[in-house]
Amino acid sequence: MTKKGMYISLLISLFVCSGFILVKNKELLFEYPEYWPKPKYTFSNNTLTEEGFQLGRHLFYDPILSKDNTISCASCHFQATGFTHVDHDLSHGIKGRIGKRNSLVLINLAWNTSFMWDGSINHIETQALAPIHNKNEMDETLENVIKKLETISNYKKLFYKAFKDSTITGQRTLLAITQFVGMLNSYNSKYDKYIRNEVGGEFTAQEKNGLSIFKKECASCHKEPLFTNNQFKNTGLKIDETLNDFGRMKLTNMPCDSLKFKVPTLRNIQFTKPYMHDGRFETLQEVITHYTTDVQKSATLAKELEDKIRLTDKEKIDLLVFLRTLTDKEFLFNKRFSFPKSLVTNSNF
Amino acid sequence: MKKYLLKFVILLFLLINPNITFGQITIDIQATFNGKSIVKNSWYKTAQKDSIQFKKIQFYLTDFKIKTVENNIISIDDSYFLIDLFKSQTLKQKLKETVIKNIKEISFNIGVKDSLNTIGALAGNLDPSKGMYWSWQSGYINFKIEGNSPSCKTRKNKFQFHIGGYKNPYKTTKRVYFKVENTAKESITIHINIANFFDQIDLKNENQIMIPGEKARKIAEILPKLFSIDD
Repeated sequence: MTKKGMYISLLISLFVCSGFILVKNKELLFEYPEYWPKPKYTFSNNTLTEEGFQLGRHLFYDPILSKDNTISCASCHFQATGFTHVDHDLSHGIKGRIGKRNSLVLINLAWNTSFMWDGSINHIETQALAPIHNKNEMDETLENVIKKLETISNYKKLFYKAFKDSTITGQRTLLAITQFVGMLNSYNSKYDKYIRNEVGGEFTAQEKNGLSIFKKECASCHKEPLFTNNQFKNTGLKIDETLNDFGRMKLTNMPCDSLKFKVPTLRNIQFTKPYMHDGRFETLQEVITHYTTDVQKSATLAKELEDKIRLTDKEKIDLLVFLRTLTDKEFLFNKRFSFPKSLVTNSNF
Repeated sequence: MKKYLLKFVILLFLLINPNITFGQITIDIQATFNGKSIVKNSWYKTAQKDSIQFKKIQFYLTDFKIKTVENNIISIDDSYFLIDLFKSQTLKQKLKETVIKNIKEISFNIGVKDSLNTIGALAGNLDPSKGMYWSWQSGYINFKIEGNSPSCKTRKNKFQFHIGGYKNPYKTTKRVYFKVENTAKESITIHINIANFFDQIDLKNENQIMIPGEKARKIAEILPKLFSIDD
């Protein structure tokens, strides 16, 4: 072969080989303050990428997940109110069907050790199955969701971008949703900036006093920095006989779990009303009144609540003022978490 | 020189190509009801004298292991099979492995092992969209039988047994072990007698089990009795 011939063959082989170079996805960093505990979920079998995140974001906002294409995740998990369903004690799903429990916030889920008010879901990746299949929520099946997604070329594209394969599977759908909801992290509230001594974190005397009351009376369950200890507690709420919801006991069948519900995070609590597993309290004032005056004793009452919580009127106000410092506007208005403009839905809104 | 080069290239291609195996053990599933083949809309009679028809029979057979005559235990990778008695293509499965000579014993799980119930969304036959994963509570349905019987005073006379549960004391996954007589096997037939499932079940009183718990645990105890190996 001549020298020229060799160079040409080399160039051709390089050209052919370059077709096999994989275009790598843009990996996303999962960031959180270095003084925080490590998250439970680390995306080890679900590498966080921009493409996976965007696919998950589309699925989150798409009512295609529901039987009649009217209800998306965002229908009950609205960003501006902490990714929960504000103003509804119990959420409604398709055809106005009403569920049995209040919608939980989606905040810092990678630190959760279980999901739902009773902990019935043990892993973030399989949580979405619950609302998708629930008759009162989306009344759909994951199998059918896949069939619907397969008819939409944009989803085929998004799945290909995320998984380097346009085959849509149940697992991939769930993993993509997980990549989105797993990124919904809040750690830039006024409280956080106060802890970090940052600009914007200048606490008033009232807020400081509220924090110290909080540490004394509330933090045993609503532990900093996540504002939950991930445990299940009976908070002495009187049973609502229209619901007869005994909480975790229905799942475990153990009497010691009677009336126990998960300790939810208090982050962004200012905007996530109404409160408690059945949304019975419209205001934080009512919540505080419950804890200081109306705790019902029972065999399974949280030991943290055995001694009466006594607060003066001024202390109650200081506590409320402190709770407002848990609002994280950067999180609530982060455009990356909002409705993706490229999503075209067949929604019947 | 060229002739040897060609042979070498072909050999290299064969060696590195993952799709070409040098032999595989085939698993043949043969399910009957006391010897009768199982067909939808046929009637069968249980030991408790209930007349039944079947609509769905699906279950997981997973984590296959082979023990050789030298007592080496070989785990078969990716051996997670979802068997559907009404989908004949699931009744023939291949164990991914080169030919294993001198097989003394084969073992597998009826159901999915406990640890796979807590690690999130899995792929292939374990994909949660296959209808064998509970949505309202995490965990696999190991064995599912649905049908109808006049003995059931339920809607449409249905009976539904979704046997699952991975937490103590209500675990339901069972591992079974079978001796293999002919040690140079290339195909193993697993016989399943579905009739045995109903041995102790009185359908008038017991016809809906759709959650983990004591009832599911008790029924799971029967599952190994359904299985035998043909040799």
